[in-house]
Amino acid sequence: MHERLSFYIKRDSVIHRLNPLTKLVLVFAFIGVAFTFPWYWMSLSLFLFVLIPLAFVAKVSREYFFTATRLILPAAGFLFLMQALFQPIGEEIIFQFYFLDATRESLAFAFTIAARIIVMISAFTLLLLTTHPSELMSDLTRRGLPGQFAYVIISTLQILPQMQAKAQTIIAAQRSRGLDTESTFLKRAGSVLPLVGPLVFGSLVEVEERAIAIEARGFTSKKEKTSLHEVPDTVTDKTIRWVLIILIILSISLNLWL
Amino acid sequence: MALVNIQNLTYKYPLTKTPALQNINLQIEQGEFISVIGANGAGKSTLCYALAGFVPHFFKGEISGEIEVDGVASSKSTLDEWVVNVGLAFQNPFNQISGAKYTVFEEIAFGLENAGVPREQMQSRVEEAMKLTGISNLADRSPYSLSGGQQQRVALTSILVMQPKLLVLDEPTSQMDPIGTREVFSVIHNLTQSGMTVVMVEHKVEWIAHFATRVIALKDGSILTEGKPGDVLTSDVLTKNGFGVSRYTSVAREAKKQGLWKKEKLPVTLFEAAEGFNRNA
Amino acid sequence: MLDKIKSNFNTQTWVLIPIAIAINLVVGQIVLTLKLPVFLDSIGTVLVAVLCGPWAGALTGALSNTIAGIALDPGWFPWWPVAAMIGYMAGRMAEWGFFKSWWKVVVTGFVIALTAVIVSTPIAVYLFGGITASGSSFITAYLLQTGQGIWQAVASTSFITEPVDKITTAMLAFAIILGLPKRTVGGYPKAANAEAEGADRNQLYIAIGVVVLLVLFAAFLLRNILGG
Ligand SMILES: Nc1ncnc2c1ncn2[C@@H]1O[C@H](COP(=O)(O)OP(=O)(O)O)[C@@H](O)[C@H]1O
Ligand SMILES: [Mg+2]
Repeated sequence: MHERLSFYIKRDSVIHRLNPLTKLVLVFAFIGVAFTFPWYWMSLSLFLFVLIPLAFVAKVSREYFFTATRLILPAAGFLFLMQALFQPIGEEIIFQFYFLDATRESLAFAFTIAARIIVMISAFTLLLLTTHPSELMSDLTRRGLPGQFAYVIISTLQILPQMQAKAQTIIAAQRSRGLDTESTFLKRAGSVLPLVGPLVFGSLVEVEERAIAIEARGFTSKKEKTSLHEVPDTVTDKTIRWVLIILIILSISLNLWL
Repeated sequence: MALVNIQNLTYKYPLTKTPALQNINLQIEQGEFISVIGANGAGKSTLCYALAGFVPHFFKGEISGEIEVDGVASSKSTLDEWVVNVGLAFQNPFNQISGAKYTVFEEIAFGLENAGVPREQMQSRVEEAMKLTGISNLADRSPYSLSGGQQQRVALTSILVMQPKLLVLDEPTSQMDPIGTREVFSVIHNLTQSGMTVVMVEHKVEWIAHFATRVIALKDGSILTEGKPGDVLTSDVLTKNGFGVSRYTSVAREAKKQGLWKKEKLPVTLFEAAEGFNRNA
Repeated sequence: MLDKIKSNFNTQTWVLIPIAIAINLVVGQIVLTLKLPVFLDSIGTVLVAVLCGPWAGALTGALSNTIAGIALDPGWFPWWPVAAMIGYMAGRMAEWGFFKSWWKVVVTGFVIALTAVIVSTPIAVYLFGGITASGSSFITAYLLQTGQGIWQAVASTSFITEPVDKITTAMLAFAIILGLPKRTVGGYPKAANAEAEGADRNQLYIAIGVVVLLVLFAAFLLRNILGG
């Protein structure tokens, strides 16, 4: 879990050097076009001819393919199967499985949805692989996002692995005391409190002290905040963002028009 | 004029009946190193919070009397203005990590970012502060990957970098082994040498005797006695009120009864004890 | 309006939100390991909503799904409006005084469940054609095969799973707040909304009874729908 919370791979590439907001707009452009552009093969083309080459340009192809095989393809594959079998649309049955059947239409629908999901997750993955969370947050803060949001996001990303580790410790301790995840329903339900209790109470009691600690360092200061790191934003970045926004609008209008 | 001036301070937390601080009067001069001692629940932390502005601004509750630092009254100030002048660090190093930063360097800069310090100044101020506390080598580490002693020094640095006029430390070494304690004390000693005013809650009497310029003993929210470490830490009032004393003081007190300790004054540290017994011989 | 939103947020709120998100996700994972028929992935959201207010609750829900999408499974992303509305409704119910005793908490849980059904149905229908990647989609698929309309099939599926989950969630959140020292609770903006007025044992037993009845009712519904 630890390594997955910081996807970021420190490398020097054109994509790494883009402004974080540009990359964020790029992600939304991918999603917007994949979900609205009225051409059946759009999502697949985006994936094959734009996203994969981008992964190479960003010098994170190995990490990207690793995530893709471990996370993206299984998720999309499962969704594809569910949709193909469960969607009750279409007449022309291609194959049947008990009361479930896959028709030409349900296969086509399943393909569309799976391809869109692949584009969406791939775009996010590339953003996370090439952008350090604190870089993204400082840039957004500089642009007017309240500083508390940056605190919440980054703090969550750091607390989550700690909590998961604590939960593992508690589960292991309870197992050695006879907790069995295969035992009767009542026993399993009864073990929720001993598992969850220590975890939750422990972290809630700390809140006051942690609030004092950050207030002691001016968390509520009304002064305009500055940032340690300078996040560059070039003319190229601004141009790219405008082009992408026009692209999104175009795709949506085409969808509504056709 | 004294840097800190507390007059007739009485304070009660919300939902409580007895005041946590009662009629406190205290003046602190620039450059003093004051050590606060007292039993559990005596009000030491509350006094720290009052100095640092969290009582009453954060905790609410009922307050009377006045706290002034550098001529400004706490009641006429807000917490975010107050923390610029008074820095606070406390016991649990882990809870003092902001969580908003990935490296020690960024962690220390957090307060400066909040205060709106320009980037160019920030860099040099962080570096300087890290040098002062001897943690320059940790700059790129994650604050969560450090030992307790290192985390406590990071917490201290994060406060120091804001250049407060008064430093308030609530049991900063209580979770520390002897090495961590030594590290923290040596940093604070250096600070006081360069003119910083420090108020520190601390139980380790031998360390206090060595470094503090004044000791304040609290009991049930009131000041029981105060004065020079050598006098306060060996006084009968303390023993009568159940305060722990240094083992060298106990030994010498026993020795004095049997005529083996000839000096008027009792020792607190090993050094004083050794010297005193040596003179006897 | 802006003042009302701001009143939900003090420093303790900002510190609590990341912890609440972690509670959501970690408890959700524990429950998954225990193979229980509930999600319990919004306890933290409800805690924030009750202690800090509806807007803080909504923010916690939305961020919780976003971060789960990044950290655990991208399948969380599309459901952020559901999580946000759960937080908002929990906070509203608490403001209306429905988080002060066991039976009121049961009502709150039920209202949150209804909210979840209402918000999640259009997302499931428009984004996934009714079939999401969750296990309960088997029920939806079955209902679809029996000739039910898509809206009805999706809504009845979540109506079978949601109430038990959300009532249990609300009750656990209430139990946690009851178990915390008063002075730990006191520092949050809406601590007064969580002041228990009649939270005795008898009420707790009645509340648990209600949940058990609901479980049986859901099982009964399920058998009738699937058997019929
Ligand atoms: N947040 C709080 N709310 C209510 N009472 C408190 C709070 N913090 C401390 N107290 C009470 O105030 C008294 C003084 O506590 P404290 O200053 O923490 O003592 P010390 O630090 O000397 O152990 C104690 O009786 C304690 O129970
Ligand atoms: Mg204390």
